[in-house]
Amino acid sequence: MTFEPAGRSLSDFTVELEVYSGPYEWLLALILKDELEIFEVPLRELVGSYLGSREQGAANGLERDTDFAGSAASLILLKSRTLSPALDAEAEGADDESLSPQELAERLTEYLKIRRAAERLREIFASNAGHYPSGHTLPPRPGRLRIKPDRLSLAARQTFSRLIEPPVRHLGPITVTLQELAGMIRTALARGPISYESLTRDMDRLNKAVTFAAALSLAQEGSLTLAQTEPLGPLTLKPSA
Amino acid sequence: MTERNQPSPEHLLEAVLLVSASPINRSDLSSATGLSTQEMQAALAVLAERYSLQTSGIVLRNVAGGYQLSTNPSCSGAVERFRDEARPAPLSGAAHEVLACALYLGPLTRGAVSRVRGVNSDAVVRSLIERHLLAEVGTDHDAPGSPALLSVTDEFLAATGMSSFDDFPSMGSLVTQEELSRVRDRLASGALPPDAGSGSS
Repeated sequence: MTFEPAGRSLSDFTVELEVYSGPYEWLLALILKDELEIFEVPLRELVGSYLGSREQGAANGLERDTDFAGSAASLILLKSRTLSPALDAEAEGADDESLSPQELAERLTEYLKIRRAAERLREIFASNAGHYPSGHTLPPRPGRLRIKPDRLSLAARQTFSRLIEPPVRHLGPITVTLQELAGMIRTALARGPISYESLTRDMDRLNKAVTFAAALSLAQEGSLTLAQTEPLGPLTLKPSA
Repeated sequence: MTERNQPSPEHLLEAVLLVSASPINRSDLSSATGLSTQEMQAALAVLAERYSLQTSGIVLRNVAGGYQLSTNPSCSGAVERFRDEARPAPLSGAAHEVLACALYLGPLTRGAVSRVRGVNSDAVVRSLIERHLLAEVGTDHDAPGSPALLSVTDEFLAATGMSSFDDFPSMGSLVTQEELSRVRDRLASGALPPDAGSGSS
């Protein structure tokens, strides 16, 4: 079986944003790994940057445009979903609250003040940038280390407390396991080679996917071999000699 | 030096300030130099004149409740080239909002920050803690799970050039009554103001 690496038409596209500077593919990876917040990525600037980098008549122009449109659409979807208060509240397990017009006005007023304060802070930071203090750092002196009990308690709590488990409500009930399907494959192989298609003929997509994963797992441990004469052709499972 | 082995008050302060990377308060300066309050006051006034933006490549700043010698921003390009490092990237709009929450409404929890902004702010909080502008300063024992309370730091004060939190304008002064009335009117008419939505993006 031969696997061709997927084309990376955007591998040469680099972006220069206020929050990030570097390859576009790394930007996507950072967002997916939650190391960069999607709110902070100005998508309009990103699109502008891409349009500026396009080369008319490039050999892979269409593929590049398509890939960028696909990934940019995903970013827009992700950003809009994350910004949606309803979805956000649901994800965090918050109560479904409906605000009265008065409460909504109060919230917006408070946010407006924070927004203005943030704008003022931006100006203050900008006008105070460029001050560098002495590079001399004094080493801590033994016996002068003071630890406040509440700080120690906080650090201990953070160290020993359980991490919040990720929400799994969006996942359906587990109806099949890899072990069950590996057992089914072994039983089928006892009668000789069998094609993947016939093995999974009456299965739904989930079972087909797990069966494929089980077959790969068995192939890796040497219990069977996988044969495919041509890319995307029929896949045959054979018992190992 | 005024005499051999008899440094002047200004020299004593200069020497101590030179070796400190963080602001030193008057009490620590006094105990290090042995100067009286009056001597220190006079010496600091001399140093402030000597190390001002107009007269020197080094400036004396009164920040974060203390005094600090730092480079003149007009020389920052040379300093950055010498240290072979770029100036830290400016903070994003979301980061400024989180800092404003902590400054004006803090200490408060991550959840409270997210509620004010209307969007999850955990990633922004994390990056601000890494930049030492925000810190966990305690615990909200009344809230479920006793979440940590966040507040701005002395580094924040130094970065903003402020000596204390009182130096910032009050939150009420940042928004005019006309602006607030406009928000309420637009809300009443069903149209939100263009910049009063949730969290900067």
